[in-house]
Amino acid sequence: MSWVKENCLSFFQLFCIKVLKTGRIPQHLALIMDGNRRFARKVSMACKDGHSRGFDKLSEVLKWCLDLGIPEVTVYAFSIENFKRSQEEVDGLMELASDKFKRLLDEIDQINEWGVRVNVAGRLSILPIDLQALISKAMLATRQNNKLQLNIAYGYTGRDEISRAASHIIDGVKNEELTAEEIDEELISQSLDLGEPELLVRTSGEVRLSDFMLWQVDRTVLYFSNVLWPEFTIWNLLAGIIHFQRHAPPALQDKANTPAQQEFLDKYETRKWQKLEEIVACS
Amino acid sequence: MLSKILRQFLFILIHFVVKILVAVQNIYYQFCETRILPDKHVTKRDVLTLLDSVPKLKKKLKHLVVLVDTSVHSMSDLALLVIWSLIVGVPFVSFHDLTGQLKKHEEDLFMEIERKKKGVPGCIKWSNKPDLNGYTNGTQANTVYINIFSQNDGRQRIVQCVNLLAKDRLKSRRCSEEYTAQEFNDALIQLYPNIPDPELVLYTGPMCCTYGLLPWHIRLTEFIQLSVNHNVNINSYLGALYKYNKCDQRFGK
Repeated sequence: MSWVKENCLSFFQLFCIKVLKTGRIPQHLALIMDGNRRFARKVSMACKDGHSRGFDKLSEVLKWCLDLGIPEVTVYAFSIENFKRSQEEVDGLMELASDKFKRLLDEIDQINEWGVRVNVAGRLSILPIDLQALISKAMLATRQNNKLQLNIAYGYTGRDEISRAASHIIDGVKNEELTAEEIDEELISQSLDLGEPELLVRTSGEVRLSDFMLWQVDRTVLYFSNVLWPEFTIWNLLAGIIHFQRHAPPALQDKANTPAQQEFLDKYETRKWQKLEEIVACS
Repeated sequence: MLSKILRQFLFILIHFVVKILVAVQNIYYQFCETRILPDKHVTKRDVLTLLDSVPKLKKKLKHLVVLVDTSVHSMSDLALLVIWSLIVGVPFVSFHDLTGQLKKHEEDLFMEIERKKKGVPGCIKWSNKPDLNGYTNGTQANTVYINIFSQNDGRQRIVQCVNLLAKDRLKSRRCSEEYTAQEFNDALIQLYPNIPDPELVLYTGPMCCTYGLLPWHIRLTEFIQLSVNHNVNINSYLGALYKYNKCDQRFGK
């Protein structure tokens, strides 16, 4: 299955999307895709196939987001804690990811046509080396796209993300790129892998964050849906968006950075891309 | 052009219908609740109901946080939550102050809790006050520690931690290029009182949001709605505790 599934909506569903688009649409949607294994058990299929169905659902949802005009989508694909699962399942998940990133690189023309920019958030160094290389290639190859930013949290936890950002900021101060007084909320926000979502949807009825985007969700509308991820439909998403339209706090204006902060962030960004290029070069 | 007007009309219609459905639901809840007398005191019957449920609550709750909006929650509501938690045996009850008004009126809350506590065994301790009622007869009595958190305890505290680390003013250990979550945690917890991570957050109203509550500490916290219309009563409190009991944590597995 490809990354963005085409022609998955009926005329009526497209019409409903158009109607909802008249109102405010979240500019960043975060998804905790929970319930793949429970789904697999429910329909008695192998756990691995459940995850694979979960990915298929993601490609459908990405198409819905393109149609809805949501410019940024973040999904929680693999947590650092998930390494505690059985070796077999972890291997299966890594293999699934490798397959999908290979596929993405094969279909790169199509991805670029859609304008999907892939950004993987997480501690890359704990992933298998071949997967690191594939991820880096995918990120570099789609860097210029701007229609839909897809952030995939892989080898990620919110605490780890904050810790890594803190390390770089502290190093910035030690290398005199920044003064300690210039450390503020906005600087940390911008040093993180992920931006702030306006709507977060978690499926399968769980009502916690499970270490996802801890820093970013302080103004986010959290929407908990009872369906399992592979059973998530356009109607569930639209219900979430109506909920968002009813309750979302007004969007905040970005605060301008000081020149030193901006310079630090630019350097930080450059270093990040250099690191990815190194990983690709080493593979 | 015409289709645009049609779409806008349908958009307004959808939201109107949802509004009516929600209003009907609210009236229904209100109707159910009026049959329970809105008791602003802790009655003997309340105490018995709470004590009855204790054995059924298998998952021991250590730290409960309530998201408080002082424009909809009264001091009496908050005091009741504290007393109920005292009876059930929740050792840490915290309030996240969304409007900044609760911290200003902390004294009022203190007085209200003291008023409601009459006749209920156990002690209430305030994180920032010396012990006033440290003594209770009998050894079975529970203790509740109360904390009030505000915006400054959230992201700001992490900013402060990074700032101190950058100036080498905080003890820390970094074994590799980047801090691990554990290493950063060890540094950060020095800036917080020694209390367990919240396991349960109660909110009222239709929308769930963390409002910046302790970003570092809420990774495994369950968010449960106390009531849709901001009412606080013993049944919704117990209902939330039962719901929390059903939540199954897998810790990544």
